[in-house]
Amino acid sequence: MTPSTTSAADAVIRVEALRKTYGELVAVDGVSFVVRAGEVFGLLGPNGAGKTTTVEVLEGLRKADSGAVTVLGVDAIRHPDELRSRIGVSLQTAALYPKLNVVEVLELFRGFYPSGRPVDELVELMDLGEKRKTRTQDLSGGQRQRLSVALALVNDPELIFLDEPTTGMDPAARRALWDVVLGLKTRGRSILLTTHHMEEAEVLCDRLAIMDHGKILEAGTVDELVSRRFHERAVRFDAIDGLTDEQLGAYPGVTSVKHEGGAVLLYTRDVPDTIGAVLAATDRLGVDPANLAVRRATLEDVFLDLTGRALRD
Amino acid sequence: MRALLLLTVANIKSFTRDRAALFWTLAFPLIFVFLFGSIFSGGNSARTIGFADLDGTPVSAQLKAAFAGVPNTKLVEGTEEELLTKMRDGEVSSVIVVPKGFAQTVQAKAAPATVTVYTDPSQSAADGGTRQLVGFVLSGQNQAMSGQQPAVVPGFQSVQTNDLSFISYLVPSILGMSLMQLGVFSAIPLVADREKLILKRLQATPLRRWQLVGSNVLMRLLIAIFQTVIIVGVGSAVFNVQVAGSWLLIGAFVLLGSLTFIALGYVIASFASSEESANGMTSVVQFPLMFLSGTFFPIDAMPDALRTIARAMPLTYLGDGLRQVMVSGTPFSPLWVCFAVLIGWLVVCFGIAARFFRWQ
Repeated sequence: MTPSTTSAADAVIRVEALRKTYGELVAVDGVSFVVRAGEVFGLLGPNGAGKTTTVEVLEGLRKADSGAVTVLGVDAIRHPDELRSRIGVSLQTAALYPKLNVVEVLELFRGFYPSGRPVDELVELMDLGEKRKTRTQDLSGGQRQRLSVALALVNDPELIFLDEPTTGMDPAARRALWDVVLGLKTRGRSILLTTHHMEEAEVLCDRLAIMDHGKILEAGTVDELVSRRFHERAVRFDAIDGLTDEQLGAYPGVTSVKHEGGAVLLYTRDVPDTIGAVLAATDRLGVDPANLAVRRATLEDVFLDLTGRALRD
Repeated sequence: MRALLLLTVANIKSFTRDRAALFWTLAFPLIFVFLFGSIFSGGNSARTIGFADLDGTPVSAQLKAAFAGVPNTKLVEGTEEELLTKMRDGEVSSVIVVPKGFAQTVQAKAAPATVTVYTDPSQSAADGGTRQLVGFVLSGQNQAMSGQQPAVVPGFQSVQTNDLSFISYLVPSILGMSLMQLGVFSAIPLVADREKLILKRLQATPLRRWQLVGSNVLMRLLIAIFQTVIIVGVGSAVFNVQVAGSWLLIGAFVLLGSLTFIALGYVIASFASSEESANGMTSVVQFPLMFLSGTFFPIDAMPDALRTIARAMPLTYLGDGLRQVMVSGTPFSPLWVCFAVLIGWLVVCFGIAARFFRWQ
């Protein structure tokens, strides 16, 4: 690739007050954020939050109503053509010629760029070796997604956009893709990905922004986002008949009691004292607390707290 | 340029792997050629003629030998009644009767001797063929018997072009129809690619739109040339359709016609919201074009109202131009009008597509 024009501290993406409407619907409502060179940045949010629209404006595929977008030092709204050969794009839905096979599609796209990575290397990287000669119409959803990511890498771009890259993948394929993304980061590439998968965001993203209803609610590292609003940890166990929320709320250290499915969550400042109280109570009742666990608050808790909804709905 | 060629190759691969597309562009027109060819040119390649020699003289025998010596012609002898029965049964295409006293009349040279020829005018190809054959043989005979140059050269060579056999009419018509379908059908994969977001994905690469459109058009033009070779090749190899005109002019019509109908395909793609609606719209466009443009019968045979519609159809002019150039068919419009109308349609369709076509 050409020597990067940006140093590590520079922004590869700078978005200011981006706004995009479709008729009455405000898809993106004044979004601002910065992606630094060499980092993996995530847009986390439910479907319809405006993630895809935001990304497609940055990719030069959509015109914004207002706002400023600079990508790799180029005005992505006015001069999208100057970006094309320097970025890699994987759309939310893999867009593939149905009658061409995996290698043919890769070679076709490779031919659009003056330089890039060898097709065989990408086939290997995305574990598509057994499907080299398979027409894309015969691939599974996960395989199509992998090919779509491979296509985003044919020109060995400085900046890669991955829109919901693990949709349709089984857990093994998802973890393999995470390794690929982290490998790209090691190669010094910058990545912007969207996801509604919390664990994915926690594993991959150096920094992320939580989006909902076209707005960024909060941005930062995972630690920042969590510790900013949760000082407590959660003690979690399956709900027990005979222990009311009032009783649980009175245990030492407990600040609040919540329910998640059939489980009770005790948010506490003092994990050992809270657990001691739970064990003493269950002992008296003659039952064992099932699936007792302690966990830190997660992005899921953050999202729940910010929007009042669970992320995966 | 490299990207354009790569994309053209990819388009050709996609096209040839699509059975429906292959059927409509190659099998469908060939089925028409074979179907109509065998219906309307029956016995064209090996003509069977009944010959009743009621005179039985060396002069009539000489005439019989002359007919028997014509290539691809088989003579069946018998009485006039026998042969006419055979003709009604379709065993012979026509019957030639040499009357008694034929030799005497010839040798007297007072009045021309008459040979009766029975033909069926409803079998236009066989009828025309027999007339040509008889004219050809008799003029040779006349010349030989009179021993001098005939005062008037027989006009049967122009009979061949004016009295166009149906298969000769049909081959350029079917070629025009196929080029129309090839162009109009370009809407369907285009809309499919848009629906599958392939056009959007390509937009995120350095590929320019002109390269994308160029590769689609280039692929269709290459297939158009292939179609022309196949259809004209089968027409001339199997059904003996002669190509009279200049290949340069034929090529010009093939390319201009293809471009015009590809542009019409892009117009359809501009207004079709899904692959299904593109399918429906191509049908709505192609069937009137097919049947109201003189593809299967001359538009002179149409009622006035339909003829007015036919005069507006671009395929009328492509078919007319191809027939004039290929087999010297009777012109409906002068060649330059054919070119002008096609160019007019091309410009209008291009303008509409450029204005309304959406990439996403």
